[in-house]
Amino acid sequence: MPVTLELEHIAKMFPGTTALDGVSVRWEGGKIHALIGRNGAGKSTLVNILTGALAPTRGTIRLNGLPIVFRSPADARKAGIAAVHQELSLIPELSVAENIFLGRLPRRNGMIPCRVDWHRTNEQAEALLSRLQVRIDHTARAGSLPVAQQQLVEIAKAMADDPSVLLLDEPTSALAKQETDHVFSLLRVLAQRGVLLMYITHRLQEIARIADTVTALRDGTFVPTIPVAEASPETIVSMMFGQNIRFSRVVDHPASGIPILQVNALGRRGAFQDAAFTLYAGEILGVAGLLGSGRTSLLRAIAGADTPDTGTVVLDGTVLSVFSPEAMKQHGIVLTPENRKEEGLVQSLSVRANMCLASLERTAVHGMTTRLRERSVVAKIIRELDIAVPDPEAAVSSLSGGNQQKVVLGKWLNTRPRVMLFDEPTRGIDLKAKLQIFQLINRLSAQGIASIVVSSELEELMDICHRILVMKAGRITGTLDPTQSTLDELFGRCMQ
Amino acid sequence: MTIPTAFRHSFLELVLLVLCVLLAFIAPGFFTAANALNVLRNVSMQGIIALGMTAVIIAGEIDLSVGSAVAFAGCWTAYITGLLTGPGFGLPAGLAVPVAIVLAAATGCALGGCAGILRTRFGVPSFISTLALMTGLSGAAELITNGFPLTPFPGWYNVIGGGYLLGVPVPALVFVAVFAAMHLVMNNTTFGRAVYAVGGNAEASRLSGIDVRRIKVTVLALTSTFAAMAGIMQSSEIMSGTATTAKGWELDVIAAVIIGGTSLAGGAGTIRGTMVGVIFLGVIINGMTLLNVNEYWQHIVRGALILGAVLINRMQSPRDGADASRERR
Repeated sequence: MPVTLELEHIAKMFPGTTALDGVSVRWEGGKIHALIGRNGAGKSTLVNILTGALAPTRGTIRLNGLPIVFRSPADARKAGIAAVHQELSLIPELSVAENIFLGRLPRRNGMIPCRVDWHRTNEQAEALLSRLQVRIDHTARAGSLPVAQQQLVEIAKAMADDPSVLLLDEPTSALAKQETDHVFSLLRVLAQRGVLLMYITHRLQEIARIADTVTALRDGTFVPTIPVAEASPETIVSMMFGQNIRFSRVVDHPASGIPILQVNALGRRGAFQDAAFTLYAGEILGVAGLLGSGRTSLLRAIAGADTPDTGTVVLDGTVLSVFSPEAMKQHGIVLTPENRKEEGLVQSLSVRANMCLASLERTAVHGMTTRLRERSVVAKIIRELDIAVPDPEAAVSSLSGGNQQKVVLGKWLNTRPRVMLFDEPTRGIDLKAKLQIFQLINRLSAQGIASIVVSSELEELMDICHRILVMKAGRITGTLDPTQSTLDELFGRCMQ
Repeated sequence: MTIPTAFRHSFLELVLLVLCVLLAFIAPGFFTAANALNVLRNVSMQGIIALGMTAVIIAGEIDLSVGSAVAFAGCWTAYITGLLTGPGFGLPAGLAVPVAIVLAAATGCALGGCAGILRTRFGVPSFISTLALMTGLSGAAELITNGFPLTPFPGWYNVIGGGYLLGVPVPALVFVAVFAAMHLVMNNTTFGRAVYAVGGNAEASRLSGIDVRRIKVTVLALTSTFAAMAGIMQSSEIMSGTATTAKGWELDVIAAVIIGGTSLAGGAGTIRGTMVGVIFLGVIINGMTLLNVNEYWQHIVRGALILGAVLINRMQSPRDGADASRERR
């Protein structure tokens, strides 16, 4: 009798949004069930509910037919539900065996309390790894292993308690294609042992290789589960996006034909190679690609955040030889980074100070700043970007994600940029702010300011860009005109 | 500004005021102009260093070498003065002393700059490099003095550390001048803003086009220079270069900065707060001395004060650590 996991009308409301709107499904053990969906479709919420990190607003979870209620992640583990998350959580300085049994290392009885039984730790780790047919030295330092092997250790760690359900949240997102084979063979071993596997992925081409069934989440509801044999790439895309995708292109004018920025054979070892393209004044150029395709590294190199190993960046016919954010800012090339909290803003400073951070010299006179002058500059940008901030002296950390992103943009507008690089400009922000940011990019474009936009949200690129570059495994593999192509095409080009 | 906010913003000042009123009643001789100047004079040398240390800590670094740097600068000044006025050079004291002072200050500046370069180019934490400097400079001071005080100074040299101008001790005047300058720098210059930004988030600052390395090197060099200045004044006050002076000053200085509300995590703090912290410590010690409190008790009270001040800062901003700064830039 295989394990069964049933969800009955599971719903999760957050203030203002419905993350899950009554989803029901029945999954069986011994199989690998793929779960797909766009960012924000509710996948993480579902994982969090199944692992006891969140309580559902409504609905019942049944494990082997019996309803279960989790009050904490520990409850879920006890019930036999384990999860492997997207980010690696191993402690690099500890051995594989220590990582596997972290927090529950076997103890020795005797005079000394809490004395670790290293012999048993190693023995049990070795036994576990060989049971799972994973060939990794259990005494190796976790940090010394390649990422793919670390991911295997993560899975082994999750399996240490012999759970009957294993949830995998994009376990291969950081791996190259050939490295995924090891993970897949481990998953097959687990499926043979009767474990119920739920596998979340963005890489649609993996589904046919590994999954038995496909379920899609779309706007908080399930699209009915189908066996993988019936899932053609077209079916999968329509499951994720729905049949009637309507685009509303924000960008309302063509780019000019005046080249402004030329990137020649740019490369950074281990990140991307041979990037070459020309950007025109007022053009909005999209870069599409999967996580790890080198899209972020490309932007960072152009902005001087990282130094490239090869190639040149030419602005208006002048070769830019110094790669530092400071030098690039002088030339008018600026970057709004992917992680606005860590890289875009100084959380301990006020909204005003953050907005003036990149333009200190411009707003100051002889190196002296005055609150008055800064306030007038900041007030103008707050109006222009419609930032909801009661007081520019408020801590920037008190703003919502969308407003924080606008502060980052405002910081750069103050520097009179010529080329703006946006890395995931709409990640984690609400729809209204998203649209406003697109409209801003459009307005800048009309003024002749060129933009490069990296986004995981491909339909956003379709809406905002004049032209889209496709990146794969560190290389630019093609160009696409969003007015002449469909989302499916772009999706296919990124995935294949 | 509502009254509760004003109260919260000036909490430490209020406590200081209450303390002074209390001491005026119970401590004989506390509430006199002479004693006030005395307090100011006693805190001024550590205070100058604390003002620099505030910038260092806001920038996310630390300088443990300042105590040894004071002793070394005094000995170094005395050594150079002795050398230049001695048989080899035979310069008049009027020329030798200024040269020695400039050289000692320059040496301090260079040493701090080295710690900064080690930090920014080679990734050596300032805690480590200044710890090494603390030990090394202490040894160097002993070495050049051979373990005995050097006394090459002419009589007028005493003015710098022990003299008065219009009835105010010279070191106190220097302290007030440095306070005014640092207050201006940290609040009203692009450099000061960059110090806060670098300490708050170095990577975001770098990506905003701020030269993080230059900022860190500069604050460390500045503080070392202040320590050298304090060392020169100290040697003038005691009219000798003595290797054993200023032991443990680094901790007193850091304590004053912390009491003043600066966060050890970097990114938050004020020069005004440090001024209050310095005077607070000075008043407490002065009051306890006037009340004939045992010196050992004084140490315990000072320890309690550091803890208490940080606790109060924390409790005023339960939401996040960043709010611990009493004024937002």
